[in-house]
Amino acid sequence: MSCLELRRAAMGDPQRIDAALLEHADHCEACREFLSLTREMETELEAMLDVPVPEALRARVFAEAVAGPRRSRRYALAAGVALGLAAGIGFLWQRDDPLALAGIEFVIFEEAQAILDAKPADPATLDRVVHKLRVMKPSHFGEAIYLGTCPFGGGMAHHVVIKTAHGKVTLLMMPDRGRAERGAATARGLEAVVAPATGGSVAIIADSARSVERIESMLNAG
Amino acid sequence: MRFERRQAQFEHEAGRYFDDLYRFAYWLARDRWRAEDLVQETLARAWRNWAALRDAGALKAWLFTILHREFARGVARVEPTEELDGDGDGAWEPALDADPARGLDLRTALRALPDASREALLLQVLGGFSCSEIATMLESSEGAVMTRLTRSRQILRRTLGADVVKEFRQS
Repeated sequence: MSCLELRRAAMGDPQRIDAALLEHADHCEACREFLSLTREMETELEAMLDVPVPEALRARVFAEAVAGPRRSRRYALAAGVALGLAAGIGFLWQRDDPLALAGIEFVIFEEAQAILDAKPADPATLDRVVHKLRVMKPSHFGEAIYLGTCPFGGGMAHHVVIKTAHGKVTLLMMPDRGRAERGAATARGLEAVVAPATGGSVAIIADSARSVERIESMLNAG
Repeated sequence: MRFERRQAQFEHEAGRYFDDLYRFAYWLARDRWRAEDLVQETLARAWRNWAALRDAGALKAWLFTILHREFARGVARVEPTEELDGDGDGAWEPALDADPARGLDLRTALRALPDASREALLLQVLGGFSCSEIATMLESSEGAVMTRLTRSRQILRRTLGADVVKEFRQS
């Protein structure tokens, strides 16, 4: 262990320095002083960043976050009524899979912005994910028009948008999110399925059940 | 009843990180009102996807990632002539029990950091995330994050001065 290694570690993350480097600092006065000053600065930085959180902000923010913006609530209500008329009142009681439903919400609310914000993705990463999940490569179903990563369902998903002969299909590939059973959801005019795959799962979202099922069977043939 | 239970669980779980999220938003946006909007939008998005969250251990990183993305979207939307710094109209908050002069120095030092470096530093100091976690959140490599953090601390040391830190310790 060298002085340089300790200084590099201390400047990168002074709270997580490994035991061997700390032992080095115990025997090196210069490094001990360096580490001590770095940690003092860190403490001061923490204190300076500790701005007060406005009173009552928490209650207001949570109330509004759960209620949603007024326009969205009206839209959700209108969409709900339309869905009820189209599918019959019994349809409203159908239980949707939460992750599949989140996939639909993602496509409605997040997808466009995710595409706008995305950095260029590395196709090799998708190849590795496809290989790990042991599913067919999405480019076999049609033209892959977008490839990126996004936060989804409490983790990161590989987001792929494909233009197929039957319309647009969104895939959210989750190599670390294993699943025992298939789940499905229908909402806002979209259909979604979360299909188990080797060591993970894949959410498929499209505008018809037929498209979803077709992609699901092709994926599984991989 | 089920909705109320889910809502209560959301408020309890996400509420544990509320203060950290607000401070992260505040120091990213450097403006109290923008910070409030960022936290609001972050939690609204989190609530919409709450049912799908499986790993409670990933919640903190998930919330911070959403906030980071919301901020990036906001920056992209801001017109080039619009000033991002909210120095006027009382939008700046002094830190709790802080020396105002030092607060100003720190603010200046943080402003001098490149955006990506400041964000990595805030994620580590306020969020307590490791280099590896920050790399995932910012879609970068661990090495690049380490470099940004090192440079950030070098700049802060130069601006704030190691000697002043010594005085701080002695006082």
